[in-house]
Amino acid sequence: MSLSVRPILSALMRNRTGAVLVAMQVAIALAVLVNALYIVVQRIEKMQRPLGIDVDNIFVVQASGFTDRYDQTSSMREDIDYLRSLPGVVAASPSNGIPLSGSGSATTLTAHPGVHSTDGFNYYEVDEQGLDALGVRLVAGRNFRHGDIEPSRAKNDASSFVSNVILSRATALRLFGQDDPLGKAVYDDLGQSATVVGIVDPVIGAWVGDRHPDWVMFMSRLPSGRYGAVRYLVRTRPGARDAAMQQAESHLSRSNPDRVITFVRTLNYFRDLSYLGDRSMGIYLLTVTLLMVAVTCLGIFALATFNVTTRTRQIGTRRAVGARRADIVQYFLVENGLITTAGVVGGCALALATGYWLSIQYELPRLNLYFLVGGVLLLWGIGQLAALQPARRAATVPPSVATRNV
Amino acid sequence: MLKMQDVSKVYRTDLIETYALREFSLEVSAGEFVAITGPSGSGKTTFLNVAGLLENFETGSYRIDGTDVRGLSDDQRSRLRNERIGFIFQSFNLIPDLNIYDNVDVPLRYRRLSTRERHERIGSALDLVGLSSRMKHMPSQLSGGQQQRVAIARAIAGDPAFLLADEPTGNLDSLMARQVMELLEQINELGTTILLVTHDPELARRAQRNVHLVDGQISDFRTYEPRAAPDAGLAHA
Amino acid sequence: MQASLLGYYSHLALRSFRRNPGLTALMVLAIAFGVAVCIMTLTVYHAMSGNPIWWKNDRLYTVTMDSWDPNSGFTRGNAETHLPPPLMTYRDATTVLHAGLAERTVVMFESSGVISGTGGPPLRTDTRFTTGDFFPMFDVPFLYGSGWSRSADDPPQPVVVLSRSMNERLFAGANSVGRTLRWNDHEFRVVGVLDYWFPRPLFYDVTEGSFAPPEDLFIPFAWGRALDLRSAGNVDCWKAEPLDTSEQFFNSECVWLQTWVELPDRASRERMQAFLDNYWAEQRRGGRFGRPRDNRLTNVGQWLRDQQVVDNDNRVLVGLAFAFLLVCLINTVGLLLAKFLSAAAITGVRRALGASRRQVFMQHLTEVALIAGTGSALGLGLGALGLAAVHHMYAAAHLGRPGGYQELMHFDRTGVLWAIALAILATLAAGLYPAWRVGRLPPAVYLKSQ
Repeated sequence: MSLSVRPILSALMRNRTGAVLVAMQVAIALAVLVNALYIVVQRIEKMQRPLGIDVDNIFVVQASGFTDRYDQTSSMREDIDYLRSLPGVVAASPSNGIPLSGSGSATTLTAHPGVHSTDGFNYYEVDEQGLDALGVRLVAGRNFRHGDIEPSRAKNDASSFVSNVILSRATALRLFGQDDPLGKAVYDDLGQSATVVGIVDPVIGAWVGDRHPDWVMFMSRLPSGRYGAVRYLVRTRPGARDAAMQQAESHLSRSNPDRVITFVRTLNYFRDLSYLGDRSMGIYLLTVTLLMVAVTCLGIFALATFNVTTRTRQIGTRRAVGARRADIVQYFLVENGLITTAGVVGGCALALATGYWLSIQYELPRLNLYFLVGGVLLLWGIGQLAALQPARRAATVPPSVATRNV
Repeated sequence: MLKMQDVSKVYRTDLIETYALREFSLEVSAGEFVAITGPSGSGKTTFLNVAGLLENFETGSYRIDGTDVRGLSDDQRSRLRNERIGFIFQSFNLIPDLNIYDNVDVPLRYRRLSTRERHERIGSALDLVGLSSRMKHMPSQLSGGQQQRVAIARAIAGDPAFLLADEPTGNLDSLMARQVMELLEQINELGTTILLVTHDPELARRAQRNVHLVDGQISDFRTYEPRAAPDAGLAHA
Repeated sequence: MQASLLGYYSHLALRSFRRNPGLTALMVLAIAFGVAVCIMTLTVYHAMSGNPIWWKNDRLYTVTMDSWDPNSGFTRGNAETHLPPPLMTYRDATTVLHAGLAERTVVMFESSGVISGTGGPPLRTDTRFTTGDFFPMFDVPFLYGSGWSRSADDPPQPVVVLSRSMNERLFAGANSVGRTLRWNDHEFRVVGVLDYWFPRPLFYDVTEGSFAPPEDLFIPFAWGRALDLRSAGNVDCWKAEPLDTSEQFFNSECVWLQTWVELPDRASRERMQAFLDNYWAEQRRGGRFGRPRDNRLTNVGQWLRDQQVVDNDNRVLVGLAFAFLLVCLINTVGLLLAKFLSAAAITGVRRALGASRRQVFMQHLTEVALIAGTGSALGLGLGALGLAAVHHMYAAAHLGRPGGYQELMHFDRTGVLWAIALAILATLAAGLYPAWRVGRLPPAVYLKSQ
């Protein structure tokens, strides 16, 4: 390398305001870039975790009875029979909760009676088609049979348990560790027990923001409709969903004058709504971060351009005394590299501090250092790219500029 | 060592062509001190740019030490400039952001010399111009004459075969101008060929040979008696 | 003199812009983007974090008592909140209500029912079961009629208050006071219709998404028990106890009721606090309240913070927005400085010709002001566009009910003032230093060289 850094550095130090400003931009951009990307990646991971549910082919119907004549049991029976008869429908089941929607129920659960626990497990009350209506995969044991399904709890019964349950693998792991859970008993907080007949994996409950969204249990019982509404989960063959939804809505809204159909919606609707915050956060973070990097690059570009224009004569002199074009390009790249490096070093400290602060303040996970390394390389590379064009232009300054008396 | 044969240089605009040099021929031998004079617009600066490989020319031939410079790549020309030619400019062209030492260092940097050798050359060049005590000063802290002496030091630090000086005293008062001229004569006596471009006949008279340019052509040769015959042994070391 | 100079400076600035149109555009855009991003995030943040009833911040308190599990604190989403449960048990809430210590007391929950009997098709709607103090306590505006008196609370009278939009749906916006409707097939008489009312966030019940609009129907609280209703919102239980009968449920340790009191002065607050503590001690002797004493009266501002109504994402975004604005401003300072200093020789000539330091400073400040002013104006426009885009994103997701996010995504008057203040600040921040620097240049240095 024909250019040592020292004279470039000393020249820089004599005009440092511009350089310091650019380095500050680089530092802030790095800190933001690294932390924003880290948050975005976490959100993407959250959104892409395996759901175990055939989301795209499921729709949800909610019905509310409102007169004294309304009989929930027979109404539910008729509705489910009708839904199962629709063309393209694979399975349909009543359910108390809607996956991914934020609307569901949870209970505490232990592997031994009388043991105190605060773990909340999200449960679905479904019939024998419940697993199929969600499209979840049974990995051990058996599905519910028609005979297992217990009637809805009576209005004045809020605490009876069921005989058979199917657990998610995450639930089984939490309760039984590595032991085989099949045939074992699980207990509610009143000490009532149910037998584990099957294990599904993966599956997700109603609350995507829960610390353990996959702590799920299926109960072999029709939902109670206690809060004035029953839900039906309906799964169709691919492509048949929308037609089935239309048919279901037009038929069910007229079939029983004692209840209203509150909504017929795709499960995608609920999933998108639940992840809306994550999605918009991600889009917003990415947009602003990209803008910030772009502004920083423009700053680098502008400073380099400014340096080139104000030093035309100096470049000509250098060329006159024998600098090759490549030497000039190199000079400006080294100069820019020094500025960017200073910014990046400051940015590392800033990024770590921001990451630490975020992790303390908002209980976000601590910044992953790979992101920092990646961010440093990225920003440094982009910084050099931004300076390349001005540096090239500098190299085209003719050496005869030196003899021109302005 | 420097031989131009029928060199022409044309500046074209949309409407007119201006011959800055017209079939210009000149031969300079090692150790000479040649003054190029002429009125404004006579082609002095163009001659300097062509001679110093800062600009190309259209027709004719130009040889330095027997090498035809036509057809050399930009890098090769840069290299020739760096090793064979030293420049001195009217407005000094010191790099304002660099101190004196670093300014003199600039051409040496492009030559891949060892740190020690660069250091020695900078030291002796600054010694010669009498400014070794000002190494750490910035150009703006020096007078015009001192700045031009630094520029001379920068020009000779690389030990070039010839110096091209473009009105080196044009921005200086008469006392400083005299000092600079004496310095150039001293360098010439040490064996470096000097081509001095000036419009000042007084300065020109101090050279051994005077080339007068009018409209890009040589109108007059005048050879003066050498002030003192250069020592033949020192010529062109 | 000054006015004509200002015109001259503007003229110079415009010439300067023409000299480097690209650079000028870059600076304008940088400021515009910075201001736009800030305005967008701040508007959303402001809407989410504002105290919608700030004028009663020293009078309105929500009551919470730590009646939770002696063995572990209250959790949400399997994570501990380190606060008492945000809701109260029926027993504790009604004790506060019947004590009558506060100027006004509200105990309530949200449920859901089907409206019929008004001619249209049956309609499921969210309904709030509350005591009548709700309306004066929260300064709820009425279009027609009024709320109900305390005497209608207990025993509960069949009265109902409608939201303005529900009145438009059911009665085409007519004065419906005195008309009747059926709620889950029980008849209620309309006594009042609200005017538009969208407290954001929905401070009085933050469990149902803080940016939901208020309910469309309000019915006396005691009907909840009479009709044996359960909350459609959160019902959190910790104790292993049977909940089969209505009796069991209402006497259980399940928390599900919001409790608010209006306490006009310090004395009344202290009285209420003492009452809660006494009640707590008395109940503890009876075997309840196994946790350390934590009986709270929390005002609205603190309540919104405690319940993390402004989620962390929004705080992070505000930080991001300011970092972005900072980068844009630094960028602009750098560009302005470069531009001004590159024209230093000309400035030197001006100084030599008699311009004062102050005049040079003012000349450059004018240029800065034009750039930053244009950038800020553009930023306001971009910010409005950005908000429209956010609005669109949420509307596309059918966040349905009027008043939700849609109401959130518009500038209110304070928002615009904030934005203008921000823009002026940005101008000063970006322009003062370069103008000052160039004003301080010694003229001789730049005249000497040529």
